[in-house]
Amino acid sequence: MMEDTDPDLSPSPSDQNSSSPSLSVCSSPSLSLPSTPSSSSCPAPGPAPSGTPPLGVISEGPGELSLVIDAEVAQRACQEVLQKVRMNQTEVEVDVGGSQNGAGPEPALSVTIVKPAQIQIREVEDDPGSVKSARRRQRHNPSKQSWLLRLFESKLFDVSMAISYLHNSKEPGVQAYIGNRLFSFPHDDVDFYLPQLLNMYIHMDEDVGDAIKPYVVHRCRQSISFSLQCAWLLGAYSSDMHISTQRHSRGTKLRKLILSDELKPAGARARRDPLALTPFCPAVSGSGEHGLSPSKRTHQRSKSDATVSISLSSNLKRTASNPKVESSQDEPVRLAPQREFIKSLMGIGKRLATLPTKEQKTQRLISELSLLNHKLPARVWLPTAAFDHHVVRVPHTQAVVLNSKDKAPYLIYVEVLECENFETSSVPIRIPENRIRSTRSVENLPDCGMTAEQRAGSFSTVPNYDNDDEAWSVDDIGELQVELPELHTNSCDNISQFSVDSITSLESKEPVFIAAGDIRRRLSEQLAQTPTTFKRDPEDPSAVALKEPWEEKVRRIREGSPYGHLPNWRLLSVIVKCGDDLRQELLAFQVLQQLQSIWEQERVPLWIKPYKILVLSADSGMIEPVVNAVSLHQVKKHSQLSLLDYFLQEHGSPTTEAFLSAQRNFVQSCAGYSLICYLLQVKDRHNGNILLDAEGHIIHIDFGFILSSSPKNLGFETSAFKLTTEFVDVMGGPDGDMFNYYKMLMLQGLIAARKHMDRVLQIVEIMQQGSQLPCFHGSSTMRGLKERFHMSLTEEQLQLLVDQLVDGSMRSLTTKLYDGFQYLTNGIM
Amino acid sequence: MSQVEKRAGLLRRTSSSKKPLKEKVVLMYDEIFAKEDPAKNNPRFWDELFLMKVNLEYLESKLESVDGEEVQRIQDNINSLFHHCVQALGEEHQIKVVNALQTLCALFRGVHQKNKSASGFDIINMLMGFDKAEQRMKDLMERLDSLLCGDGSESLKSLCLKLLLCLVTVTDNISQNTILEYVMINSIFEAILQILSDVSSRGQHGYDAVVLLALLVNYRKYESVNPYIVKLSIVDDEPTLDGMGMVVHQALTEYNRQYKDKEEENQGGFFSTLTSMVGSMFIADADEKLSVQTNEAILLALYEAVHLNRNFITVLAQSHPEIDIATTPTPPTRPHPQHHLAPLMNNPELPLDPNLQTSNLLITFLKYASIVMQDTKDEHRLNSARLCLIILTCIAEDQYADAFLHDDNMNFRVNLHRMPMRHRKKAVDKNIPSRPLVCAVLDLMVEFIVTHMMKDFPMDLYLRCVQIIHKLLCYQKKCRIRLHYTWRELWSALINLLKFLLSNETTLLAKHNIFHLALLVVNLFNMFITYGDTFLPTSNSYDELYYEIVRMHQVFDNLYCMVLRVSTNTGQWKEAASKVTHALVNVRAIINHFNPKIESYAAVNHISQLSEEQVLEVVRSNYDTLTLKLQDGLDQFERYSEQPKEAAFFKELVRSISLNVRKNVSLNTLSQDVLLKEFSTIS
Repeated sequence: MMEDTDPDLSPSPSDQNSSSPSLSVCSSPSLSLPSTPSSSSCPAPGPAPSGTPPLGVISEGPGELSLVIDAEVAQRACQEVLQKVRMNQTEVEVDVGGSQNGAGPEPALSVTIVKPAQIQIREVEDDPGSVKSARRRQRHNPSKQSWLLRLFESKLFDVSMAISYLHNSKEPGVQAYIGNRLFSFPHDDVDFYLPQLLNMYIHMDEDVGDAIKPYVVHRCRQSISFSLQCAWLLGAYSSDMHISTQRHSRGTKLRKLILSDELKPAGARARRDPLALTPFCPAVSGSGEHGLSPSKRTHQRSKSDATVSISLSSNLKRTASNPKVESSQDEPVRLAPQREFIKSLMGIGKRLATLPTKEQKTQRLISELSLLNHKLPARVWLPTAAFDHHVVRVPHTQAVVLNSKDKAPYLIYVEVLECENFETSSVPIRIPENRIRSTRSVENLPDCGMTAEQRAGSFSTVPNYDNDDEAWSVDDIGELQVELPELHTNSCDNISQFSVDSITSLESKEPVFIAAGDIRRRLSEQLAQTPTTFKRDPEDPSAVALKEPWEEKVRRIREGSPYGHLPNWRLLSVIVKCGDDLRQELLAFQVLQQLQSIWEQERVPLWIKPYKILVLSADSGMIEPVVNAVSLHQVKKHSQLSLLDYFLQEHGSPTTEAFLSAQRNFVQSCAGYSLICYLLQVKDRHNGNILLDAEGHIIHIDFGFILSSSPKNLGFETSAFKLTTEFVDVMGGPDGDMFNYYKMLMLQGLIAARKHMDRVLQIVEIMQQGSQLPCFHGSSTMRGLKERFHMSLTEEQLQLLVDQLVDGSMRSLTTKLYDGFQYLTNGIM
Repeated sequence: MSQVEKRAGLLRRTSSSKKPLKEKVVLMYDEIFAKEDPAKNNPRFWDELFLMKVNLEYLESKLESVDGEEVQRIQDNINSLFHHCVQALGEEHQIKVVNALQTLCALFRGVHQKNKSASGFDIINMLMGFDKAEQRMKDLMERLDSLLCGDGSESLKSLCLKLLLCLVTVTDNISQNTILEYVMINSIFEAILQILSDVSSRGQHGYDAVVLLALLVNYRKYESVNPYIVKLSIVDDEPTLDGMGMVVHQALTEYNRQYKDKEEENQGGFFSTLTSMVGSMFIADADEKLSVQTNEAILLALYEAVHLNRNFITVLAQSHPEIDIATTPTPPTRPHPQHHLAPLMNNPELPLDPNLQTSNLLITFLKYASIVMQDTKDEHRLNSARLCLIILTCIAEDQYADAFLHDDNMNFRVNLHRMPMRHRKKAVDKNIPSRPLVCAVLDLMVEFIVTHMMKDFPMDLYLRCVQIIHKLLCYQKKCRIRLHYTWRELWSALINLLKFLLSNETTLLAKHNIFHLALLVVNLFNMFITYGDTFLPTSNSYDELYYEIVRMHQVFDNLYCMVLRVSTNTGQWKEAASKVTHALVNVRAIINHFNPKIESYAAVNHISQLSEEQVLEVVRSNYDTLTLKLQDGLDQFERYSEQPKEAAFFKELVRSISLNVRKNVSLNTLSQDVLLKEFSTIS
């Protein structure tokens, strides 16, 4: 436990004493009351000077609204804690100081709040003893608990630590405090640990569950997407329980509650918490009036709370003042459209799996998606996207079935319109498929001399045009204007003009002559100019689709879409997996992201690309595809070149800038993934699972075999990671500078990762709880993982280790063997 | 009169042999055909009449047998009958509605039968009376409209459509059917659309609705403003257009399936071959004709939709799994099986059958065309083939259609039917690769070119065929689409066509302007020669083009000699032929440039027969010394327009469709016993 505490996190060395969980018995009551105004005896890391009422000191965010919603939830949580406190009311005092500290680092409160807060707390605390005495006592006893408390209240206390304490602490008080504290973290930060939170909720004891639930419920009320996310994860992580217990488990119940859609904003809350009701709507809406909120506790928590409340309160205000606002009207079907959307995508996957050939699958996929299009636009979105949007169309002809032996994962592109808030913004109107033609013809008329404004005007009329003249207008191929590829550097530019348009003027009797050689030359030049594409192969339809540069694809699809003219049009893509368990993928994603941020923090230029994972259930989900990347298998199969030659073909000769930067990218990504493969013991590293992007980065995908599991347990792939001679060739051979750079990067990366080992371990450890995932098979998973960070080695020893690993991997016969094995069984080169 | 008696007698014997007396309804008809107002003695006469089961035959023959003077006498009564029929359509009693609909059918038909030569105005006068005609027809159309759109019985709707079909087809030439003027004014277009947009009603009445629409669109198409044309051209409701496409798709699929079944039957071993040979002497011919005829109406509907409605083009590419009608065979006149595609919101699941191939209307149409084009000797098939090519012309001119034809992501296997020929084996279906749809179109064109070089030369079809190819090439050039197609097949087909024209010059010239076709073909080559850099898939393909031209240089040489000869003589073909001589300039330049080079290469290397690779090598190394002339307007083409060129064809086509539809409708309306039973139990 002590070692686990990262040195960075503790504000002072003495903190090590305080971190033992046993201390928290007494600290628990204090923690539950963070809003008490008394000054702390201990110098808080924050600016709050002791002895003065600290709350008013920093009102950084006066604009931040008091956390209305939290109030109710948090209050209840606090009350629960308080009750426990009453039971073992031995040492009440500490709390006051602790809470005070809380104000320090995150000073979102203004003085106004203080008074009501105080009053309320007194009321509650009447039994345990007077606040004053508590304060006094605390001043004299800077007990161990206060250190823990100080840690909790300190700036450095982040979500990662909160999760860690939540997991490790056996103390209900601490757990409850952290449960409360969750409200104060930015949503995004907590969202990263959502799988951990929910897994703890499902599999750990009741106290942890009780600590987490208020937060989850609160967030569910706020957001549809959070609700669904929770429901999906709860389902997925409950699935490993025995069926009989599963039915009655907390996770299942919470899932049902969420899916029943009872967790709506506004109305429900008002009913439950009449106390908090009055200040909510009117007061909250005005910025800076947070003082009116009755429950000061929440206010004290943090300003990030306040940011939450902003968006929420604005919603509240909306619904309160205007009952006709969609969100309130929609409530019965809040979650339904999205669930339906996901369901139909999964249904397609299931049906595709029954078809025998790739080609049939592809055709079926296209026709199924074209049907799906009829239902769009709708209030549905892709959960893997980073911005709010509505899905308006699935360009069905672009969808491809991915290579898989018996499942039918597929990749779809999705046209979306970005919007402010997908819950409240209105759903776009449907534009029929063929409308594109009119817009296109307008765009393409070269000499109509339209200004941008005019054009925009004409666009806006598109959705409801039924002007006869326009409908009759002819846009045939004769008028079609095509953007020519930029050939201006071409030597035979003048003549190529001729070739584009024939000469129609009959007056000029002089015949125009062209050289046959020029035509032939232009043909081969233009063929060479077009970016290399793979030849279409019905058995591998995804290769061509993935090879096309993303920007080009976006442009092409945008051109062909009836929604393409809208300024907020965006293209997204997603891989739909049906019949695959993505929980391990999610775990790997989390670890990758954690490592990425560690390396970023430590300024190690390792490059990895965590791709987003959405777990929908224990056997389905979605993956955010890596754009502009094809698998090494596809590269080799379609180009018939060695990797180095392919690099030369794509990026130019070895001395060019383009090649060098591609090579650097390759090395940095190789180093990153080598480390990851080693640390996580990623197996099944055949070339189909390693992508190469347009900039030369490699990207490992498919983390189906990590930690304790490997495919078929054949014992192949004993090397630490995959490093073929081809890879080394691209790096410039085993004696080159780049290869040394590679090893150096690995060393730096490993040192950095070691420094923050706990942040990685914690992610994995929590997920092990109650899990039947193959990556947790055996008892030594965690120990093994920990050992691979080699805490005990000196840096010199580490360097030696890296050298050994690299050498071993390079020489590894098993890598070669495994590739051969894959070629034989799956046809993967 | 005696004839009528006989019919009544016959009827008596079969249907009501117990009663020696005439049916009551027959007696009532007789009353109508008497001078007196039938309601004079019996105020409830009309009420009662529509409760009787209609005797169509008797009524019709009675109308037919009325001669000139009698008409004047009984006109009031007939007007009255018509009037009461229309009124009865509004009755709640469905039996009455059914009977009124059938009576109207009989009225329209009987009156026209009698007065084939009479002007439309006389007929209107006889049926409704001039002064009241407008009001009567307005009422009738409104009643039909509300019946079609209402929630009433499906059989009733079906009968309404039959009545309309009957009305539309009473004359051989639809444009002479003056009553339709009222159908133009009182549009039932919206009702037809509603039927097509709703899944269940489409399943049952879609076929009739589509045929009706196709016919109505052709009423005085070229002479006046037909509101149906205007309305059809601006429909943009997707479900409706989809529905229309679905009906066409289903009908064509059904035809393809029947054809395939028969084909398989014929190939099912020696014995069956023998029997079918014998059998086909008697049945096959008639059978085949029938099935083609039934589809002409649908094909016309497809044409009108593609030609008039630009939004319909998207429907062509709307893909869905091929409907397996084999399990539920339905003749087009019976209600169609309910379609599973449309209730999308409720039922996103498609039937799951791994054997189903995904298809779309265009694919089905191409397959259909490939069957129909196989044999163009028969007049109906020739018309069908021509219509198919016209539809393809419209498609090839449409930018959106071209876009999805060339869409690299929409690959399909299209099993075109190929005529079994002596010198080639029938391609195995499974080997067809999955390619963009335009490949199938090109295949179809190539297939047509190579299989129709016969004495009775279908010049018109050839011209259309070559023009379609030209239009596709123009699109590819404009959009720089490099289609991976085996162009060689097209080149050699075109060269063979030229060869055929040359060897049959005299016979063909008697009937056709072969120079026009030759010019188009040569210009296709000019497209490849001058603009090949913009759309050929590989540099090699350009070399192969030269190789093919040089290899077949004799054909071009002969063609040049021939056109030179004709153009130097004075005659009707002088100008046409001289155009071809000009068009040949580049081809001749290529031949004259490379032939000596190849010969000298052979001489230098002492090879008597050069391999293809060697010739290609010579070609590659000698491009730079060859100069070509840029020709005008190679990438220009004349847009398709129906008028005036095609007007005569469509007039004839519509006439033949009318006859056919009339025949089917009459057969059908006469057997409404089932329907009556249904209503007698309901009410």
